[in-house]
Formats: sequence, structure tokens, C-alpha cells
Amino acid sequence: MKFSPSLFDVNALNFEREGNLVLQGATFRILPGEYCAVIGPNGGGKTTLIRLLLGLEKPTSGSIKLFGTPQNRFKDWNRIGYVPQRSALVDNTFPATVREVVAMGRYARRGILGFESYEDKAAIVEAMELMGVSDLSDRLIGNLSGGQRQRVMIARALASNPDVLIVDEPNTGVDVESQHRFYELLRTLNRTKKMSILFITHDIGVIAEDITRVLFVNQTLLVSQNPAQLNRCDEMSRLYGTPAHVVSHNH
Amino acid sequence: MLEMLNYPFMQRAFIAGLMIAVLASLSGSFIVLRRYSLLSETLAHVSLVGVSVGLLFGMSPLWMAVVASLVASWMIEYLRSVHGMYSDSVLAIFLSGSLALAIVIVSLAGSFNASLFSYLFGSILSVSTQDLWVMGIFGSLAMVLLLVFFKELYFIAFDEDVARAGGIRVTMLNFMLVSIIAVIIALSIRVVGTLLIGALMVIPPVAAIRFGMGFYPTTLLSIAIALLSVIIGLSASYLFSLPSGAAIVLCLLCIFIIALVVNRR
Repeated sequence: MKFSPSLFDVNALNFEREGNLVLQGATFRILPGEYCAVIGPNGGGKTTLIRLLLGLEKPTSGSIKLFGTPQNRFKDWNRIGYVPQRSALVDNTFPATVREVVAMGRYARRGILGFESYEDKAAIVEAMELMGVSDLSDRLIGNLSGGQRQRVMIARALASNPDVLIVDEPNTGVDVESQHRFYELLRTLNRTKKMSILFITHDIGVIAEDITRVLFVNQTLLVSQNPAQLNRCDEMSRLYGTPAHVVSHNH
Repeated sequence: MLEMLNYPFMQRAFIAGLMIAVLASLSGSFIVLRRYSLLSETLAHVSLVGVSVGLLFGMSPLWMAVVASLVASWMIEYLRSVHGMYSDSVLAIFLSGSLALAIVIVSLAGSFNASLFSYLFGSILSVSTQDLWVMGIFGSLAMVLLLVFFKELYFIAFDEDVARAGGIRVTMLNFMLVSIIAVIIALSIRVVGTLLIGALMVIPPVAAIRFGMGFYPTTLLSIAIALLSVIIGLSASYLFSLPSGAAIVLCLLCIFIIALVVNRR
């Protein structure tokens, strides 16, 4: 992993959409090796926060630094792996094999006119093996189950060998067994590969033991250094502004 | 039947047709996958405005079609990407608006209906050597750009947000793609005609997708379908004195129906 003082350095970030305040005064840093959960109610601004970090939305005010570089001058986007919300919901007829989809993760590294190098091929194979989709290599993405598609999308994000993986509520349409494998994978990536993870989820209970910090987003942003605290009903009720029940389950 | 290739006008028609087949089906793959198929139809109608203006003022209809189509493609992409308007709504506005404008210009001029007919439906007699040079130069440029940015355009078609987050210059490439399509459409009007070029862009990839392959073989099959249709269509046009564009599109439709039947799901 390349040295960096912080992966994300966000300061006084505000975002308005059509005059409505979506995010106000968000300030936080994500350090190398961290496993952060981003939680909050629907419409609270979680996905918007991630889109701002990735440059998919422009902030109304405030600043974002990526790996110490102001976002507008940042070029190494391949250092950030992104698995978007509903990524498993692919058009069934789209002509793309699993390998072609995973290979997309290398496109930014290859640059214009860049042919697939030995290094690209090795990274694609490694990402597919890590996600257990090597045997699906020639299958069309539209013919896979929700769980298999999810693994392919994560393999695509991992193919660029990112320093940080951003995952936005990826379990839509995915069975419980696949979710279970998914949480284990994130833990492995964080602990053994020292990959930083920023994970948007509603299912805070199942990853509470793994995460180092929690960003709670509900228009404003709160950072909790003590994730175990979020297993308490009164704390969750205070954050969500409505009575909340924490349901514990093993995964 | 091969004696038709002894005639210079047929040689020109075949060279132009095969060039257009490759360009239209290759670029068409990207707009079909993005559910943006109506773009080709819309820009074809816009190029008709250019043709009408060219005929009215005695300028080159081909060049005027290129200019009209390019300007419209940029306006459409601007309204879609910057103003966030629904793409089908923007296309519908430009499609009907440009057709209305073309009809008004044609009505004002009044006397060039025969000439306009060949631009509407294509004519194998109308491809000049000068047209071939223009098509060769701009077609080669379009081909180079499509091949250089092939993988990026594919990524954008699959997932625009993730491509953008990965550092791919999506806005610039989107403008480039619509510009290429605008030029290809304008160049195609001699052979296929403004009202039928949309089919040459859309039907080959749609038929090829039915065979359930990855993107690269699908693209190659799409090009093969377009080439076959142009060869059969131009030959039929020569043998039975049919408008070339209509003959090509009927061939495409036959292949599409075969693809549907063979790949029933």
C-alpha cells in the first residue's frame, strides 16, 4: 500500500440539490486500514456523501482531499474501488461476459490505446479467483444469480488493486448465504490485505465487531469512535430520531 | 450478377455502403446498449434539414447535413447531460422539430422533390467520387476514434457512474460518440437515405445481441450482419431497380427475424 496521510480528508462539506439541503458541514478523515460503516436513514445523504467523495456530484461548498490531493487535481481514481448500490441489478440481455466485466476494473489503469498487459491479465484472474467467479468467466452477466453478479461487481472493483473499497448497500436482491460470504470477504480484505473499506449499510449489527468507526449520516454527519455503542437501542433511536430496535443475529 | 461491379457507379455504391455498414453497426452497438437507439433516427431527421438548406441555397447537401447533424447532436447531449432532461423527451422534440423545419424549407423551395427523394431513401446512382473521398476521410477518422476509445465506450454503456468514478472522462466521450454518430449519419444519406439509416445502426446490434455472446463477438457479428445486408440490399437495388436504402433495411429485417426465431428464449 502506498503511503498516505489519509485516504479521504473532508472538510465542512455542504451539498444542496435544487435548493434543498442534503448534507451539511460534513467533516471527517478516513485513515489507511480503517473499516468504516456509513449508516443513517433512507434519504439521509449516505449515497450522496459517497458520490461526493467519488466526484460524481459537485459539493456546494467545502473541500475534499483524496490521498492528500485536492479532488479536482486527483488522477489516481484506480486507487478507489467502487461497488454501487443495486450493482447486482444488471440488464439481463446486456452482452457482457463475467471476464469482460471484471476487466473493466483495469481500463483506467490501461489508459488510451493500452492493450491488456500480462499484469492486467494476472490482476483480472486474481480478482475472479478471490471472488470465486473464475468458473463463470465465459458466462453472460445477465444469466447469473443476484449473489453471483454481486461477486462479479466486487471482483471488478478489486481488479484495479485499490487501496480503498467503497461499497454502497450491495445486498439488494441477494440471498442470505451470499450476504454472509460478502461480510466475510470484507473482513478478510480489511484484515489480511489491509484494504480500507467504506461500507454503506443498514445492517450495522452483523459488522459491528469488524468496523473501526461509524459515520452516521442524517443530513448532518456524526462520527462514532465506538461502534459497539450503536448496538444500544437508545443510541440508535437518538440518531435516527425515531424509536429503533437493534436485532442481533449471527452471520 | 457480378457484372454489376463493372459499372463505376456500382463500385462507388459498394465502397460507400460497406464503409457505412462497418461504421454504423460499430457505433450503433453503443447507442443500443445505452437504450439511446432513437438518437440515430433523430439525427437522420436533423440531417434532412441540412440537405434541404443545401438544396435551397445551392450548397453541398452532404456538408450541410454534416453541420446540422453535428450541431443537433451537441445540443441533444448538452440538454441530456447538463440539464438532466430525459433523453427520450429531448430526442422526441428534436425529431419532430427538425422534420417540421425540413418540410417548411422543402415547401418554400418547391422544386427539388425528385432530388430530395434520393436523400430520403438512398440511391446507388447518387454516390459521386467526391462523396467517396469525403466519406473516406471522415469515416476513417470516426473509425480510429471508435477503436481507440472502444473499451471506454463499452464501460460507459455498461455502467456510466462506475466508469466516471474510475477516472474515465465520460462527458467528453459522450460528446465524442454523439458527434461520430452525427457524422456517420450525414455521410450515409447518399446510400441509405435519411429515413432509413437508423435501421442500419440499430438492427445489426439488436440482432447480434440475441445470440447471447460477450461484447466483442457480438460487435463482430453485428458488423457482419450489416455488411451482409448492404451487399444483398445493393445487389437487389441494382437487379430490381429498388431504392437502395429500402432494400438494405428489408434485408436487415429478415436477418433480425431469423435471429429472433433461432434464439427463442
